[in-house]
Amino acid sequence: MIEVGHLITLFFALCGIGIVVAAMLPDRRSLQTLVWIAPLASVVILWASGEVLFLGSPFQVQLWTLTPVGTLTLTMDRLSALFVFITGLIFLPVSIFSAQYMTRHLGRESLKSFSGLYHALFASIVLVLVAADIFSFLIAWEAMSILSYLLVNYEHEHKFSGYLMLAMGEAGTIAVVLALLVLAKSSGTLDFISLKDGAAGLGAGARWAVFLLSFFGFGIKAGLVPVNMWLPRGYAVAPGGFIPVFAGTMLNLGLYGIVRLNLDLLPITQVGPGLITLIIGTASALVGILYATIENDMKGMLAHSSIENTGIITAGLGAGFIFIASKHPALASIAFIAALYHMVNHSLYKALLFLGVGAVNTNISVRDMNRLGGLIKKMPWTGLFFLIGALSISAMPPFNGFVSEWLTLQTLLRSAELQSTAIKIVFALSGAGLALTAALAVTCFVKAFAMSFLGMFRSKEAEQAVEVSGSMTVPMGALAILCLVLGVLPTYVIPVLDQTLMPLTHASAVDALVPPFFTTSSENPQLPTEFVSEFHDLGAQVGRSVLPGRGLVVLHRGSTRNPVVFAMSTSYTLVVLLLLLGLSYVIIHWLTYARTVTRRTRWDGGVRRLLPEMTYTATGFSNPVRVIFEAVFRPSARDTKETVAAHFRTAIRRTYKEVHVVDRLIFGPFTAALRRVARSLAIMHHGRINAYVTYVLLTLLVFLVIARFL
Amino acid sequence: MELSLDKSISSTTNLMTVSKIAEERWPGRVRSRLDPKRPLCYLECNSSEIQAVCNWLFNELGYAFASLVVEDTPSQWLLRYLFYSDPNAGQVHVLIRLDKPQLTVPSISAHVYAADWHEREAEDLFGLEFEGHPRLGDFVLHNDEWQEGVNPMRKDFDARKPYTHREPDPNWRPLRIVQAPGSFLMPIGPIYSGATESTHFLLETVGEDVIRVIPRPFYKYRGIEKIAEGQSVERMLLLSERFSGTSAFAHSLAFCQAVEEICKAVVPARARALRILLAELERLRHHVGAIREICDSTGLVVATSQTAILEEELLRLCCNFTGHRYLFGVNIPGGLSRDFSEEACREVTGYTNALLERLHELEEMLRFSSSFLDRLEEVGIISYDNALNYCLVGPIARASGITRDLRKSQPYSGYDAIKFSVPYEQEGDGYARLRILFAESEQSVRIIDQVVAALPSGAVIPKMFEIAPGEALGWVEAPRGAAFHWVRIGEDGLIARYRITTPSFTNWHGFRLAAESFAFQDFPIIMASLGLSVAECDR
Amino acid sequence: MSNWVFKGLRTGIKTTSYPDREETAPGVSPGLPRGGGFTEYEANLIASSCPNEALRQEGHKVIVDYRRCIHSFRCVRGIQTPINWQSDYEWATSVSKDDDPNRRLGKAFAHSAHILVVDSGDCGACLNEIKQLNNPFYNMHRLGFFITPTPRDADILMVVGPVTVHMRLPLLKAYNAMPTPKRVIAVGACALSGGTFGPSFISGAGVSDVLPVDVEIPGNPPPPLAILHGLLVAVGRRPSALLISTEGTGKEVKTS
Repeated sequence: MIEVGHLITLFFALCGIGIVVAAMLPDRRSLQTLVWIAPLASVVILWASGEVLFLGSPFQVQLWTLTPVGTLTLTMDRLSALFVFITGLIFLPVSIFSAQYMTRHLGRESLKSFSGLYHALFASIVLVLVAADIFSFLIAWEAMSILSYLLVNYEHEHKFSGYLMLAMGEAGTIAVVLALLVLAKSSGTLDFISLKDGAAGLGAGARWAVFLLSFFGFGIKAGLVPVNMWLPRGYAVAPGGFIPVFAGTMLNLGLYGIVRLNLDLLPITQVGPGLITLIIGTASALVGILYATIENDMKGMLAHSSIENTGIITAGLGAGFIFIASKHPALASIAFIAALYHMVNHSLYKALLFLGVGAVNTNISVRDMNRLGGLIKKMPWTGLFFLIGALSISAMPPFNGFVSEWLTLQTLLRSAELQSTAIKIVFALSGAGLALTAALAVTCFVKAFAMSFLGMFRSKEAEQAVEVSGSMTVPMGALAILCLVLGVLPTYVIPVLDQTLMPLTHASAVDALVPPFFTTSSENPQLPTEFVSEFHDLGAQVGRSVLPGRGLVVLHRGSTRNPVVFAMSTSYTLVVLLLLLGLSYVIIHWLTYARTVTRRTRWDGGVRRLLPEMTYTATGFSNPVRVIFEAVFRPSARDTKETVAAHFRTAIRRTYKEVHVVDRLIFGPFTAALRRVARSLAIMHHGRINAYVTYVLLTLLVFLVIARFL
Repeated sequence: MELSLDKSISSTTNLMTVSKIAEERWPGRVRSRLDPKRPLCYLECNSSEIQAVCNWLFNELGYAFASLVVEDTPSQWLLRYLFYSDPNAGQVHVLIRLDKPQLTVPSISAHVYAADWHEREAEDLFGLEFEGHPRLGDFVLHNDEWQEGVNPMRKDFDARKPYTHREPDPNWRPLRIVQAPGSFLMPIGPIYSGATESTHFLLETVGEDVIRVIPRPFYKYRGIEKIAEGQSVERMLLLSERFSGTSAFAHSLAFCQAVEEICKAVVPARARALRILLAELERLRHHVGAIREICDSTGLVVATSQTAILEEELLRLCCNFTGHRYLFGVNIPGGLSRDFSEEACREVTGYTNALLERLHELEEMLRFSSSFLDRLEEVGIISYDNALNYCLVGPIARASGITRDLRKSQPYSGYDAIKFSVPYEQEGDGYARLRILFAESEQSVRIIDQVVAALPSGAVIPKMFEIAPGEALGWVEAPRGAAFHWVRIGEDGLIARYRITTPSFTNWHGFRLAAESFAFQDFPIIMASLGLSVAECDR
Repeated sequence: MSNWVFKGLRTGIKTTSYPDREETAPGVSPGLPRGGGFTEYEANLIASSCPNEALRQEGHKVIVDYRRCIHSFRCVRGIQTPINWQSDYEWATSVSKDDDPNRRLGKAFAHSAHILVVDSGDCGACLNEIKQLNNPFYNMHRLGFFITPTPRDADILMVVGPVTVHMRLPLLKAYNAMPTPKRVIAVGACALSGGTFGPSFISGAGVSDVLPVDVEIPGNPPPPLAILHGLLVAVGRRPSALLISTEGTGKEVKTS
């Protein structure tokens, strides 16, 4: 095997070449770098991280030593390798897609700068993930922030969103810096290894400070409530060639930070931080999906859905932290496996969905679902892949979203094994919240798919849609296949994740989660005999002789106190599903082969012609959610009625005004309080020199007094 | 529930003052004439004054608007605006003449909103232009099927010939009013639900509640008024019964009364009394059927079955008594076509009193079914002011506080000698309408008792009389409200013009008041609680 | 809630035993005129008394065309020799012309048929009689008939009204939306001949101009028992009657 270090060097070299070539080529051709160089770089980094992840090859390199800050180190352990692997996996199809998609910007914006920035961003993301000391971490982090800001503001039109993202990002960075500095205080040097060793010496107060600051900082990046206001706005203005990367890889960096800090550098010892993580995760998930369900702009809806998914991942992480602090490392392992699995899945299907939206936008500029409809007749492939993405994100078997949601919810149910009742209540509420989130996600994506792709054309633009070229459908197809694969073969993914987590949690969950094929009890010493034979009779040993790996069933067993068992196998589910579909097809064919099939138009109550405006719109579909959760949305609808000739109404105009719940509950009062404080302080600023001189005098006196008594 | 005159009518108004004031206010432009035999004032004015006159009658004096009768004579258009009020204030008929080929008339709908649909119907069927009406067209003759410029009610249009129609217009779009993001139209009908009449609605909504109702009636338009022209009185009697079978007796009574007035025929006293009995019997049967519909719409199956038993028993009673379940073929101009024996009449009262006991029991049980009341209370509210502006009639109007009932305010066929009260409610919601139905049923039973107890003897079948030319208005308080039949018999003894204004036509205009701003699920219940007939409206 | 249960139990059983036994309660049917023999003069008088040309004189006999009878009662009231009257209710006639397999409802439908009711301009009386079909007296559910709001589930299309011009297209759409096998029942004088409204510029001359009709039920309106008989004829459980009565009750079985 090629040494990892060489591969990584090759990767950075390729990114550099990409930037240079993009700068040299004329605008039209610069997108070719996205077709050749970026995918090649992705393949290289996939290979490198794959070697570390699956084979365990070590990678550590020390770069230059700068005297004040120490040695710059780069390390890729399994955790970083997992994140880098996902990054590469996303960048590969998205590059090919963007190369075709960004041609619409030809002549308006500089494609050279896009291509250059794209490669630079790729490099900076990987650099963040492999940095092994504070200084290089911060350099890479800042580079990534600035590059992403430049890419978000690519279209030069709505600058505010980009500024907001940058400003909030910088606030987060400052918090992260402070957290890392507090950590570094007790260790001396700045590299992660010595931070880990010195972490034991920190007091409780310092631990809390590190946790809160880093959670705030990385939470901004991940898009958690209440600091996620930059996310929907940023997504709305970012160009379609960049957003899949944005959603699929950059949110993960925030999660990476949370995991790295709280599991590796400063392992959690109390339940407090875990509870905060869990609660904020659940709240993000709920708020995210609620706003996604009533959003009619496709990109905006997917943005809020990203908030929901990071919320679910964070909730899983929170559960894991609590289990670690309560000395249940095996359960913690399961929780982290669920969270990381969900992260992988989210990257894949979110990128897929954004590619779908981009494909739709290639020929139509309409993004409002109220004006789309019927697209599947014109864009069948896009429709199919979007459907797979929608099924995955709604956690439908046999796709990947189902596995990670199932694992997350099961983990939350294991709270029965904890001691403290208060924590159990929090777990229960959190589980209920996530279940509600899952249900709302189904609503949201049924609406997204049905209103955009099915039904009648609701506007002229929708009628003019055209299927996109192969270079755009093939990447979507690849991601869709990956969604299916990760859904159908969870028992191969879980050992990989388990190995990633073992050095951090010091417990292995793979035996608990994936028992070997159910042949004899000797291979399954932990399971009682009748249990094994039941599963054996159900057919859970099929495939033993041909398939590698342990088994195909994911098992979730309670403790001896609470011996419940939940098992699922999406692999067998897929087989049975295909068998049933095939059988149904055969039966129907046999029953109807001699009969004529008549096709008639839909029954519409006998109206002379069914018009598109007589069909449900996206707003109408999600209106019940808006009405039921009125307390959250607090919409203020105003009807202005225009009448003519005293009684004949000519127009009823209904305008909605909605303020996001986070703005209303947190930022609104916060800024109001700030303004009040500022206003009260502004009393001092009246412009009279005499008073200012008095202030100086008073300050001097105060200092003299202090110096006298110290 | 007491009888009380509508508060909006000043009881000191009487026709003398109306006539005087009209000539004082518009000297030379309005000519008035009082009918010597009954409280009726004819006003004739120029078309430029019609808005002012109608505004004065409706908004200042509190007259209710009954109908707009348009006639196509060889040299002129005749437009009659019919207003009515309490016994003192009587009726006022305002006439304008338009010399052909002039077609434009000022619209009075801005002041008398109840005239809205009448003007739209006249525009579609006659081709008149009502200046100032913002929404003409696409009413009786649906725009996506009929060409412009075809006016079936004109004399030169041959009703016998089938009219060739065109394919549905692909560019036709309904007129939408709601401007909200994501608003759409929910189509209902014309074929919908189990066994319902065919009518079409487009509900403008953004998803949960109905913001606006766009009705598209006249899918069942059979052109009764056009077919009537040139028919004999005997033939027209059949049509007046059969265009709305569930209130057949009431409409035939109004037609007969109009013909009797034109021909100056005297109806025997026994026939008049029996007419009251039969009209109340029909009212009782209709109300029980309406209660059944309300129970059915809310899904309360046992109550539906119980009420259906009562309705079927009433239908069988009608069949035993008169020979037809819906009282077809009993009324003839001048009297009735057959007599009824004393035992038969007593059997009717015996049965209706027993029925009243069961109705009371049913009402009590419904009063304590909270799930049933939940669907009716505070649902489909029509306010008093709205009911007044739209001139709603019948049990619906009385549930909103308007106490007008033609049996009291314009008595006919001997109702002034009968003691009964007109129940009314204030809330105007579905439950108030249900209570009115029960209360009016009780009043009908009382009326039948009084009639049978004091049934005069004599003949019912009238003596032969001449069909004379002339014009008159016949009116009746049909089960659903006030119905007006305006008849003109020509020189040849055939019908020259027959204008029917039915209570359903008036009340469907106000349907949107009840249905807007309520949720979809309430829509069928609101329709059932209003109890309107599409056949009666579409004619 | 229990009050309703007790009330229902106290009310007892009201359901008729038709079709097992004839229903003899008074008031279930207005009856129809019956053809018969008279003197020529009387026959002429009777035949000319009908305002809708339902009666025809052939020598000594008066022939009744039930399609056109609108229950005006002018052949029994106010006339010297009234026509004979039959007060039964089994009036429905099967008029299918061809042996189209798509229009034959097999045995499976005999005890379970779904009906779509389309109102194409009726006055309200026929529709009200159809609504009485499921009251406790007649209870068509016990015979296996159900009313459905959608044509996709319907086996039988029941049409009332003379088919106004505006309802022509919706009626055709409803018929086309029904899957085969399907049958069409025309209920009432309006649906059979246009009734009193007759063919005009806006109203048709009955359903048979628009759709192929299988069973015709005369009457204005036909009482619920007649409609029930019509449904039983449509699914083949009762023999059909005749639409033209020369003499006798008009209940003879069609021989062809």
